[in-house]
Formats: sequence, C-alpha cells, structure tokens
Amino acid sequence: MTTPTPVQIFRSEERRERYITGSFFLKIGLLALFILVPFLFPSFKSVDLAMKVILFATLVASFDILLGYTGILSFGHGMFFGIGAYSVAFLMGKYGSPSYVNLLFGVLIAAVIASFIALFISFLSLRVKAIFFAMITLAIAELAIVLATKLTGLTGGEDGISISMPGVFSVSFTLGKFAGVEITGRTVTYYLILLSCSALFLTMLRFTHSPLGRVLQAIRDNEARAEALGYKTFIFQSIAITFGCVMAAITGGLYAMWVGYVNPESSLGVMTIMLDVLLMVIIGGMGTLYGGIIGAGFVKVTQTFLPDLQDLAMTLFPQAEFMHHIFERWLLLFGILFILVVIFFPKGVMGSIRDYMARRSR
Amino acid sequence: MEMNNDKAAMALKPAGHWERRLPLAIGMGLFLLPLLGIPVKTYLTLTIAGLAMGMLLFLVASGVSIIFGLMDVINFAHGALFTWGAYVGFSIFRLLNKWVDAESVLQNVGAFTIAVVAAMVVVAFLGVVLERVIVRRVYGSHLFQILITFGSTIVLVELIRVLWGPNDEVMPVPLRFQGNWDVMDVIVLRYPIVCILMGLAVYALIQLVLKRTKLGTIVRAGVEDLDMVQAMGHNIFLLLTGVFAVGAALAALGGLAMAMFTLQVYPDMGSTYLLFAFIVVIIGGLGSVTGSLVGALIVGLAYNYVAYLIPWAAAGVNILIMIVILLIRPTGLFPVGK
Amino acid sequence: MNEIVLAVEGVHTFIGRHHILQGVSFEATADNVTVLIGRNGAGKSTALRSIIGLLPTSEGRILHRGREIHKKKPYQIAREGIGFVPEHMGIFSNLTVEENMRVAMLVEDAATAHRLERTLAMFGDLRKFWTAKAGNLSGGQKQMLAIARAIVNDTSLLLVDEPSKGLAPIIIESLIDAINQIKEHSVVVLVEQNFHLASSVGDQYYILDDGTVVQKGVMEGLAGNQELKSRYLGISKAENPFGNEQ
Repeated sequence: MTTPTPVQIFRSEERRERYITGSFFLKIGLLALFILVPFLFPSFKSVDLAMKVILFATLVASFDILLGYTGILSFGHGMFFGIGAYSVAFLMGKYGSPSYVNLLFGVLIAAVIASFIALFISFLSLRVKAIFFAMITLAIAELAIVLATKLTGLTGGEDGISISMPGVFSVSFTLGKFAGVEITGRTVTYYLILLSCSALFLTMLRFTHSPLGRVLQAIRDNEARAEALGYKTFIFQSIAITFGCVMAAITGGLYAMWVGYVNPESSLGVMTIMLDVLLMVIIGGMGTLYGGIIGAGFVKVTQTFLPDLQDLAMTLFPQAEFMHHIFERWLLLFGILFILVVIFFPKGVMGSIRDYMARRSR
Repeated sequence: MEMNNDKAAMALKPAGHWERRLPLAIGMGLFLLPLLGIPVKTYLTLTIAGLAMGMLLFLVASGVSIIFGLMDVINFAHGALFTWGAYVGFSIFRLLNKWVDAESVLQNVGAFTIAVVAAMVVVAFLGVVLERVIVRRVYGSHLFQILITFGSTIVLVELIRVLWGPNDEVMPVPLRFQGNWDVMDVIVLRYPIVCILMGLAVYALIQLVLKRTKLGTIVRAGVEDLDMVQAMGHNIFLLLTGVFAVGAALAALGGLAMAMFTLQVYPDMGSTYLLFAFIVVIIGGLGSVTGSLVGALIVGLAYNYVAYLIPWAAAGVNILIMIVILLIRPTGLFPVGK
Repeated sequence: MNEIVLAVEGVHTFIGRHHILQGVSFEATADNVTVLIGRNGAGKSTALRSIIGLLPTSEGRILHRGREIHKKKPYQIAREGIGFVPEHMGIFSNLTVEENMRVAMLVEDAATAHRLERTLAMFGDLRKFWTAKAGNLSGGQKQMLAIARAIVNDTSLLLVDEPSKGLAPIIIESLIDAINQIKEHSVVVLVEQNFHLASSVGDQYYILDDGTVVQKGVMEGLAGNQELKSRYLGISKAENPFGNEQ
C-alpha cells in the first residue's frame, strides 16, 4: 500500500479530532436538551417553541446550503417549505385521510415535486446569473402564493387546510405517565419530528463535508477558477439547489404535521417564512449549518417572549406612548435588527466565532 | 461570490437585424393580437388602461434601472419608497380636501401639484438617508444589497403602519381628474390619460437631461465606467446620492399616481408593484431608460389584455414574458453595452 | 535641480490578498518623462492606479508637489491636475467623441478652449470624428481620445498606462510624436512594455520587477545595456525589431 497523500492524512486526522473536541460535546449537549424538553418544560408553549426552533433550524440549514455553501440567494425557499406542508396537508386532509401511509407518501411526494421544480428553476436561472435568480425566485414565490390563494377549489384558498394526525401521533392518543409527564400523541409527534430533523441535519452535514460539498465551496469562492479546473459548475449548483430545496420541502411536511394547519400566509408567505429564514441565517452565520440552530433559537425565542417584553417596556416607561406604538410593531424592530446585523455583524454568531477561533490558533 | 460579474456578462453583441427588430415585433404583436378576441371599444379602453398602468410602472422602473446601471446597486427598497409617495400624497389631499373636492380646475391642479412636490421631496430625502446611511456600506456585494434593502423595506413599511395605521384607506382624487370624456361614442376615462401624458413628459424630461446636459452626459458615462469618471475629477459620491434621490422621487410620483389610479392606499402596495418593476427592468434592460419605458408598456398592456381574456392568468403572464426574455435575450430588449 | 513633481515612497498595495506592490519608490521630476518598465505582473499598472487613488495603499506615501495625496479620493487627486490614461483606455463607447471630451473638461473657460484647440490640432482624427460614437473609432483613435481627455484640463502630471498595447507600429510612431509634444507642458509618467516607445520618449527609467524597483537610471544608459534588457524585459538581441539601439 502506498503512503497516504497529504490530503488523506489531513482527512483522517480531521475525522479523529471531530469526536473529541469541545464543540462535539456541545452538540451532544444540545441534542440532549432537545430530547429532554417535554420533560423539563412540559407546558405547551415551551414544547411548541422547541419544536419550532428545531424545524426552523433544519429549514435554515437547508437554506444555508444554497446561500452559504453554493453562494446563491433564493427567495423561493419559503415556497418549497410550503410545497412540503401542502403535500402532507393534501394527502392527510383534503384529498385523503389520516394514516401512516399517507403521511409517508405526503413527504415523499413533496420531495419529488420539490426536486422537479428546483431542477426547473436551476436550469432557468443559472443561465442568467445570480441577481436575476434572486428576482425570479421572488417572482415565482409570490406567484405561488397568489395561486394558492386564488385557486380555492384546489388548495382551500385563504382558509387553508386542517389535518389531524393518525394513530400514535393523534391528539387523543396517550401512553400514560412517565417521569411525571403525560405522554400524548403530541409527545410522540415531537420525537418523530426531532428524529427526522436530526436525520435531515446530519444528511446536510454529510453533504457539505463530502467531496461534492468541497467542490461547491470552490465554486462559491471563485466560479471561474472552478470552471477552469474542469468542474461543470452548472451541474454542481443544480444538485446543491435541488438538495437544499428537497430538504426544505420535507421540513415543510414535518411542520404541517406539528402545526396541523396550512394556509398560504403562514406556510408560503414571503414576509412570514422567508423573512424569518433570512434573519436567522444572518444572525446565525452563513456557510455554517450550525448557525441555523443559533439563529432559529434566537429569533423564535424572541418572537415568543416579545409580548412579555412589551409588557415589561410598558411598566418601565408608562408615559412613552410612541414607544408603545413602536413596540407593537415588532416587525419594525425585526427590520431594524436585521439591518444592524447585516451592517455590523455580517458573519453572524457562528461566523464570528469561527473567525475568532482561527485567529487564536494562528 | 461571483454576483459582480453580471455587468461584464451583459456586454453588447453587435446588434443584428433580428435583434433590432425584436422590440418592434413584440410591440406590434402585443398591440394587434388581442384585437382578435376583444371587441374594438373594449380594446380601446383596455389599451388606455394598459398604457396608463405602463406609464406608472415606468416611473418606478426607471429609477431601479438607472440606479442599477450607474451604481451597480440592487434596490429592493424601491417599493417602500413608492408606497411612501402614495401616503404623503394621501395626507396632502386630506389636508387640502377643500381644494380636492372643488369644481375649480385651478384648485384641483394646485392640490395635485402640491401633493406631487411634497411626495417627491419627502421621498427624495428618504432616498438620500437610505443611500448614505445604509446602501453605501454594501457597495460591491449584490447579496448584501438585496438583504439590506429588503430589511429597509420592512422598516419603512412598518413606519407607515405606525404613522398612518395599518388599514387600507380610500385615496381622494381631485374632482377634475375623475370622470370621463365622451369621444365619438367611446368612454375615455380622464385619469388614465393624465397618467399617460405625465409618463411621456417624465420620459422626455429624463431623456433631455441625459442627452443634453453635462450632468446627464456624466451619468451616461458613469453607467459605462464609474471608476473612469471619478479618475477624471468628478465627485461621484454626490452623483450617486443625487441619482438615488431622483430615482426615489420618481418612485414616489409613481406611487402617488398609482394610488389615484386604483383609488386606494395600503401599506403593502409597494411589494406588488416592485415585482412588476423588476419584471419591467429585466424585459427592458438594466440601465436603459428607453428600455424601462418599452418594458413597462409591454407589462401594462399584457396585464390588462390578459386580465380581460383569462382573469386568473393575469398575474402570471408577465412572469411568463420575463422568463421568455431571460431565455432568449437575457440582457433585455435595450441592453446598455459596456 | 529639477522640481520633484511626484514622489512615491515605499508604497505597498494589495489587491485582495495579493501583495502586488511591495515597497515601490520612484520620483518624477519636472521637464522629464519617467518610464516604468518591466514584465507583465510586475506591478506597473497597479502603481499608476495607486497614484490616481483607484487602489488604496496600505503603506508608504505618495506626494504631489510636496503634498500627500495617497489618502485622497480619485476625483480630488484628478483635480490637482493629474491626468490618467488607463490600460484599457477607458473611453465611453456609447458617448460621442465630443461628449467624451465634455465629460473630461472640468471647467469650460477660455483656457480650456485653448487647450482643446491645441489638442485637436495634435490629434486631427478627433476633430474629424467629433460627432461619431467613440465605440466606433479605431484602436489608435481611441488611444488618442483617451490621451486628449487627460490633457484638456490644466494637467501638470500625466499618467499613461501602456498606450501602445494592441496598436500597429505606425500608430505607435504618431503616439511618440504626441507624447514628445505633451512633455513640453506636463510631466509624464509612462508605463510601457514596448521598449521602442519607452526609449524614444523617456528620459529616465525605473525597472519594476515583482513589486519593487530593481533598477533605475537614464534612458540612454539602458538602451545599450543588453544584460538588463534581457533580464527584466525579456528582450534578446535577436528579437529587436527596430535595430536602432546600439
């Protein structure tokens, strides 16, 4: 056997180190935290918050595959999320009935549809360079919302579709008490989604660390050079886009399972889903899948406790009417926060940490 | 991230026979085809409505086009500036409601003029603040420009909700601008004609400035090579702020006019029209004012014809046109060569 | 002793992560044409762009008539009377020759009109094609336009980057004539790879290699120095197409 190449040595060292560094324990700890949430904080609000964080972290990670790793901004990610949600909703609600099989099919169909649309969009847009891609995805996303709202017969229109989960996952199911907490269908659903999201997240990690992922980073950093090296950048970018969109669609399906209700505004909306995702990916850090977890955590926690923040502000400054108005418009605050983060903190939390670690090791 | 090679990629190929005829072909097709399926009187009404809508879109789109052509900046906040223009005009009309409801042409036009001036000045000011405080920090990165102007849109729109309330409002329109003329048995609405004339006037004014004044020449030079213009001794920072402000003012005018056209103002009106504006700019060609005009007219006409023929497809037809243009001629109908 | 019109002292310039200029120092004195010569990638264009301010310097100083300019913006530097003719000429193709000149003229007074006349007398073709689109001019004419734009103002220092690039030998000859006329009013700093042009107009030279100045001297001295020429300029005795050096 020949002596290993420098790259191989580097890779095997990297692999070994992965399991003993501090950050590994941090990740394990985080996972453990999520696993224990139904027992530590059993209230509906907390479990719901944790679930939303998990779902959005996965969604943001899938968005980061496009933005941070392939260097492509797409405003259509919310649409893919919505496609997944609607797929599940169709099969479980409008056009089918709650059953395990339909659940699985809903997700699978979502993935298939998403991949076709993603491939179509990549073909269309990669021909014409990045800014046009952003605008086109925005246009198509808005179109999707309009269609979903207008074609009431097909999609349930603005009222949306409600679904209920089958068997073990249904609201009425109960397994009795365990460690002082009632195990209901909700709890089981929680763990199903946690498991699925972890699996999706690991898949995405694997994707970015694979040779394919490295080529993508090369393309992101310098497309011309990658082309010169012989890589058909278009094919790699299409694969990445499709992968990311499919992940988003599956996440959407999972979201529908948890929330039990889909409609154009909450599932497809640009101002709702897309804005949250953008804010989370900027705060968390682009090009670092884990950034999604931080971003999702920060944004969702803030959103959930904002009413309490408002009350706090009211009691501290009872006279400032104008300020009350401003606090009511929490979207305004988010917008300002977004701008500030983009200007002063463009690398996000994870990005800054990585920079800091890199500087320390020099 | 190679977003910044876009302008190099838009280098002009020598315009062949086929390429020069394309805008004309589309224009004629658009004008004449619908005659097949629509009675003549309705056709005229739709055409006027389409041209009017097109003119208003032109006002918004021309700003986006020049700002991108000159500054290489994608401005997603244009829609919010558009909305601000409408709301400022709304407040002025409310304030001057006596003039608005009066029979006198003088008072009507007076109210309109004051509203226009106020809207344009306020929004130009917003534009200057936006450019200097926010956009200037992200020159060079299209991605961050999109993100930051997107965020600015949210802030601006929410401010509207704070200042004016979140509800839809009915837009007052001066009396003399309403109603119609009876021309040879065809009912011709007054206001769309006003819009068309206004749009043509603005286009003529812009072309005059660009082609006949030194400032305009410098702007056209800057669209080709901004560094060189700076190396020749011109303060491009003033120039860029100025152009941004003008673009913003045009958007404000478009917003005010559009509110009077649709008779309503609501905080989110910007996003729909911003999308249209981007479609117009892609069809017409980034950096070209004439392209914006032609593209806008195409979009306006297409929307109105299709809305009559196949209502639910109206929203989609322009996206379709945009996709077709992107496939066969990505630089747009009137590309600005480098 | 001639006045030092331009002094570049220990300038470092980065483009991205690349350290292009690694401590460049040279001077241009009044009534002189200073030529920067060297191979591709040596940093000659970067040096000119750093002087006109289009590239920021990370270290070192640049002084114009004793005043520091390296921290100023390009338009401020240009207004001090420094003209710039870039490597790709930088003419505005969609504008006419007349419009190109109008953009160039910072003030429109009698003195500028006089200079314009003088420039057009030098470059007859520009007057002939006054209303034509600049993009339709030939390569040589475009170069003339680029130079004309840079000298129509009260230019005391003219920076010219590789004017001979892509031009036919006979055009280069008229370029030499033009620069010889220009040097009567302005100090010229010329970047050139074409040795014939460099030696025909240059008074003193600086050889740039790998981002620093490796040799300097008087032009007549370089013409006969075959060793320097082949080491830094890649010119071998056999390649010499003009045969008018010793």
